Amino acid sequence: MIGRGWLRAVTADLLRHWRHFAAASVGIILGVAALTFFLALGLKVRELLLVQVFPANHLEVAPRSADIDLFALRLDLGRDALDAAVMTDLASIDGVDAVYPKMRLTVPALASGGDSIFGSGLQTEIVADGIDPDLVADELGDTFREVDGDRASIPCSRDEQCGDQSYCDGSRSFSGGICRPYIPVLVSPYVVELYNGAFRRAYGLPKINPDSLVGLAFEMDFGASTFRPSALPPIRERMRLAGVSDKAIPLGVTLPLGEVKRLNVALDGPAAGERYHSAVIEVQSKQTAPGVVDAIEAMGLEIRDRGARRAAFATAVIMVVLALVGGVLIAVATAHIMHVFYLVVMVRRREIGLLRAVGARRGDIRKLLVAEAAVVGMIAGVLGLAIAIAAGVAADAFASSRVPDFPFKPESFFAFSPWLLVAVLTLAVVACVIGALPPAFRAASGDPSEALAGR
Amino acid sequence: MIRLEGVRKRYPGADIDVLRGIDLTIGARDFVSIVGRSGSGKTTLLNLIGGLDAAYEGTIEVDGRDLRSFDDSEVSTLRNRMVGHVFQAYHLLDHLTCSENVSVASLFARGEMRRDASWVKQRADEVLTTVGLPGSGRRRPTTLSGGERQRVALARALFHKPTILLCDEPTGNLDLETGREIVALLTDLHLNGDMAIIAATHDEMISGAGARVLRVHEGRFVDREGGEA
Repeated sequence: MIGRGWLRAVTADLLRHWRHFAAASVGIILGVAALTFFLALGLKVRELLLVQVFPANHLEVAPRSADIDLFALRLDLGRDALDAAVMTDLASIDGVDAVYPKMRLTVPALASGGDSIFGSGLQTEIVADGIDPDLVADELGDTFREVDGDRASIPCSRDEQCGDQSYCDGSRSFSGGICRPYIPVLVSPYVVELYNGAFRRAYGLPKINPDSLVGLAFEMDFGASTFRPSALPPIRERMRLAGVSDKAIPLGVTLPLGEVKRLNVALDGPAAGERYHSAVIEVQSKQTAPGVVDAIEAMGLEIRDRGARRAAFATAVIMVVLALVGGVLIAVATAHIMHVFYLVVMVRRREIGLLRAVGARRGDIRKLLVAEAAVVGMIAGVLGLAIAIAAGVAADAFASSRVPDFPFKPESFFAFSPWLLVAVLTLAVVACVIGALPPAFRAASGDPSEALAGR
Repeated sequence: MIRLEGVRKRYPGADIDVLRGIDLTIGARDFVSIVGRSGSGKTTLLNLIGGLDAAYEGTIEVDGRDLRSFDDSEVSTLRNRMVGHVFQAYHLLDHLTCSENVSVASLFARGEMRRDASWVKQRADEVLTTVGLPGSGRRRPTTLSGGERQRVALARALFHKPTILLCDEPTGNLDLETGREIVALLTDLHLNGDMAIIAATHDEMISGAGARVLRVHEGRFVDREGGEA
């Protein structure tokens, strides 16, 4: 076929039967609009969940549990710790940027203090763990680091002489004290929420602002417990709250890893300083995360915090369900396109016979009809995309003016990425072409004489 | 150039053959009139010769080659290059101009027959002039009289300078005067063109113009008296 003539023929046919094609396009337009709208919404929500709410570039890895319930007891038959070799193996996985080990405090501890906030001192059993300070370096800088041993030799008689990060240990002794740094600790936002939501009400305590907690000092007796004290004498340390972080243990306090190692070795033996209970893996990107997860699971470990994956999965399911609505519309529209093209082919039977009589091959007839369908799909697809984008803009405007602010509320709820638009447009074209194929094959079948005679 | 041997044709669902053993040979510059009543098989015969219908028994050879050996591409090329059809019902495309109707075969030309748009337009104007419709290229078929439509249909058949021109009742829908003009045109093409013309008609005027007259009755060639030829 000659290009321009062929294009003219397609255009002329489309214009001639525009009512048929317009009717056939309605389904495609609606399907494309619904599919694009819901996919863009789902992609944006998924992005919010993975990037902001549950950063998926951090995965917490722990030994795979193999618990068996035996009457009132739960027996843990699985491996309960990771060693340095496992950390090395984790670091060697493709797509892993960094490995941050976490270690539980293996002895009991008592925390006491809080006079400045609660009005009187509190004492409570508390659990603790240690994390690599680099894990929170971005949010806390150097305020959460292991104690610097060089500063432990400055003599003092009052805390004020030791600066903000240290206190005067032994100031009441006859020989005077020495400045010792506070051990920085982190608490989880959940601890603050638990206190503000339930604990304070039960005890009639004031509500606290998490930011005001930073700098709060208190004491911890490691190895001490009202329940079951350790065999060795407890170690008393002064702690200073360095910040509130979601990297901290949900209930308890989190210390720099080196401090927990030191305390575990001192109170529970050298082996306790070599056993990590979990590790946080930083993956290079969300795209590499699935491969990293597979490799981790192949090592007999499991991903402990599945919040992000669950959220992403739930979002994906909702997105797929909503997209199915659009997909079903497109499928129905494809059937409608097929119906319309059968009609068009029937109406144009003599014309097609004539084209065959002047030299059109069966393939030419098929190409002509498929090209017409592709153009219909392209136009319908563009209209559908325009409707979806307009609906997205309208929804964003509504959300901006009528929906109250909430955490992680985005400026736009839709991610109309170029690849999405191209993919849906392609789908519209493909759907129309698929719909037109059976009529095109039928039109091209048979002898020209039959078509010319209207048989 | 064209040879038919024992050609039989029965349409699906029909009880009898529409063609019952046709033997025929037509030379390169013959003007053959096939005369017969409606339903006698004239149109069917033209369709078979022109490669519009592939369901038949017997042998049809064009230029020494059996049509059955042609695949879809080859028979399409035959229809595009060698054969020009003039249909009784014209079969013009009303949404195209006369020029576009005349040159519609160029859309499907292949090989050396593919020409640029300017050549196509020039050739369309040329054949429209040949059939007596100069300057009508931009008109739509709906604005033409029956005779003019038939001329456009004839121009379309002549576009690729066919070696076989098949005319099915070329004057069937025309008044006497217009019919005479078409017959004169065909006669002129026969005398000055380099093609075989086969016209199916029940119009004695056309049969008189043809050098050979073949009478067909109930699917067989018969002589003037109705006996088998």
